[in-house]
Amino acid sequence: MAKAISNVFKKPSTDEFKFGDAELEAICVQLKEKVDRVFGRSLAIRELDAGSDNSTEIELNNLSTPYYDVERFGISFVASPRHADVLIVTGAITRNMEIAAKKTWEAMPAPKFVVAVGDDACGVGIQNESYAVLGGADKIFVVDLKIPGNPPSPKMILMGLLALVHQIEKQTKG
Amino acid sequence: MNIYEVLETLFEQKLNLIEGLNSELYLPLDESGLEKVLNVMNENSFELISLFCVEDFAEKGFTLFYAFEITGFEQTLIFQYALNANQAPSIAKTFPSACWYEREITDGFGIEFQGAFDTRRLFLHETYPKDFHPLLKSFKNGPIETAPPSEQNDYVFKQVEGDGVYQIPVGPVHAGIIEPGHFRFSVIGEAIFNLEVRLFYKHRGLEKLAEGMAPQDCVRIAESISGDETVANAVAYCIAVEKICGLSIPKRALQLRTVLMELERVYSHLGDLAGMCVDVAYPVGASPFFILREEIFRHNEALTGSRFMKDTFAVGGLTKDVPAGALQNLSVYLKGFPDRFGVATAIDNSYFSVIDRFETTGRVKPEILWPLHITGPVARASGKRTDTRIDHPYGMYGELKLKQKTQTNGDVFARFNLKAAEVLDSIKIIQKIMSELASGEVFAPFQIRDGYVLSMVEAPRGQNVHWVNIKNGLVDRYKVRTASFCNWQAMEHAVLGNIVPDFPLINKSMNLSYAGTDM
Repeated sequence: MAKAISNVFKKPSTDEFKFGDAELEAICVQLKEKVDRVFGRSLAIRELDAGSDNSTEIELNNLSTPYYDVERFGISFVASPRHADVLIVTGAITRNMEIAAKKTWEAMPAPKFVVAVGDDACGVGIQNESYAVLGGADKIFVVDLKIPGNPPSPKMILMGLLALVHQIEKQTKG
Repeated sequence: MNIYEVLETLFEQKLNLIEGLNSELYLPLDESGLEKVLNVMNENSFELISLFCVEDFAEKGFTLFYAFEITGFEQTLIFQYALNANQAPSIAKTFPSACWYEREITDGFGIEFQGAFDTRRLFLHETYPKDFHPLLKSFKNGPIETAPPSEQNDYVFKQVEGDGVYQIPVGPVHAGIIEPGHFRFSVIGEAIFNLEVRLFYKHRGLEKLAEGMAPQDCVRIAESISGDETVANAVAYCIAVEKICGLSIPKRALQLRTVLMELERVYSHLGDLAGMCVDVAYPVGASPFFILREEIFRHNEALTGSRFMKDTFAVGGLTKDVPAGALQNLSVYLKGFPDRFGVATAIDNSYFSVIDRFETTGRVKPEILWPLHITGPVARASGKRTDTRIDHPYGMYGELKLKQKTQTNGDVFARFNLKAAEVLDSIKIIQKIMSELASGEVFAPFQIRDGYVLSMVEAPRGQNVHWVNIKNGLVDRYKVRTASFCNWQAMEHAVLGNIVPDFPLINKSMNLSYAGTDM
């Protein structure tokens, strides 16, 4: 009990966290504005690892850490494809993941979009000659946007998402 | 006694040992000879660290390689057994870790293991045709015809029956941003009674891709085994080829490699520490680790141009030197690191709710450590004195005089504390090397030679074993066994009796790579 009370009054053990990435903030402000308008304030993303080397997953996870914290801008990574607007595909599609990948896409409600993240998913990875992969995400999906990189940085991924939302806005207007 | 005397005493005979290029000892054997030595290895509890197959090695046909660690010696012992046909005796009943290796060899080469207790396919899932064996030399890599799975080739999970037992199938696509794999839980109430892990959804055929490549180009394959072990695998591969070519690389390259390897360990462990907090729903504890980790990623990028330090390593040294300014910044940054890290660990170590979730959860018991060759932090947290940097020193580690760190409880809390201690050790190693950094070249020119070698490194997750064979100037066989390949099997034991909601926490505390296992 005494500890609980002293915890209330003592100096917090956490520091205030300051970051100053003006470029990142500028991208995110634009992104938020567009997500608000085009997706009704919430862009739900389902990530599908179809055979990556796991570095792209790490960068996608980093988007939710304090330096980026993209939930501030209305972007969330959701647990089920049934909740998702966008499917982010990483890695070349392996033969062992082909069926699960297709089922994930089928479970998503329309309208839905596919973004390939990373060189392997974009079809320019080193594994294309292998018996074990089909190739990039466009071998089984209609891909709306490709974000290349080995892996792309969190900032690059956000720029890609901005481009995607921009493209969707243009399509819906047209 | 030296290793020759030890082995001759053990086997009670003169041995025809062939010295390898990286302190391995090869011993060619026939079937009866193999049986005899394996019995001796088993009686003395020596650990099987890898088992792999090579086609057309010394003669036409298949040769199996059984690699063992000999406690107390730098050398590894490798039994070489040339098969007469496509059959070999299974050793999985005496060496349980051999089960996955044997299934892997059956998939790759079509070799039957007689007396094996598990003959299901491993990395070839249902859509691959029957009698397809991609690692045979007769198969030229390229697209193949697959067929939708039928009921006959369905994968059969172990069935646990009894009052109140039910199954929970999870995956391959998981709820978070996680790699794919399938977990089949058999549960009574909330407690896990049995877990079967099915992996290899990410099988990309990397070993086959390496076949026929120029040894210099194959570094890119090593890097793509597991993104967060880029440095460890690239360095292990480069060391292997350098040993074959009889090349020693410049001191500065050696030092920088060590700095980058330890930076990889730091960011990897920071991710685990954060992840463990996330999995007990404690983001306040996770955030400071995430912040530090992002900062390390940014230093990686400043040093090498890549947050994961890709395209940085080459056979002969490094592809490029690191910028002087980036080194200076890192040195200044690391001075403040231990204090900030101390604050971060104190947040978790002082919160009873976190400790309550960490303690006694997911115990890896000592009795599985040797039979399954559990390695890295998972093994050290259960009291096993193992660290490839100390047991089989490579690069600069021989000079560094590292101290072995262990914990005894083997639970999530032990792994948390061990990884926290290892982060600080790595920072000290980096600082020491940076204070003595040599100037000069970071690359030595070389001539490719033919030969074969075993090379081992301590990746953040534990011991990674690479075996490279160069024939006619090209890679003939590249076999990699990552720490995760071994440690996944510890998972099936560690979760028993725990509640299902603790599974993600146990999983995170072990930090296993799917990509590194599936290859």
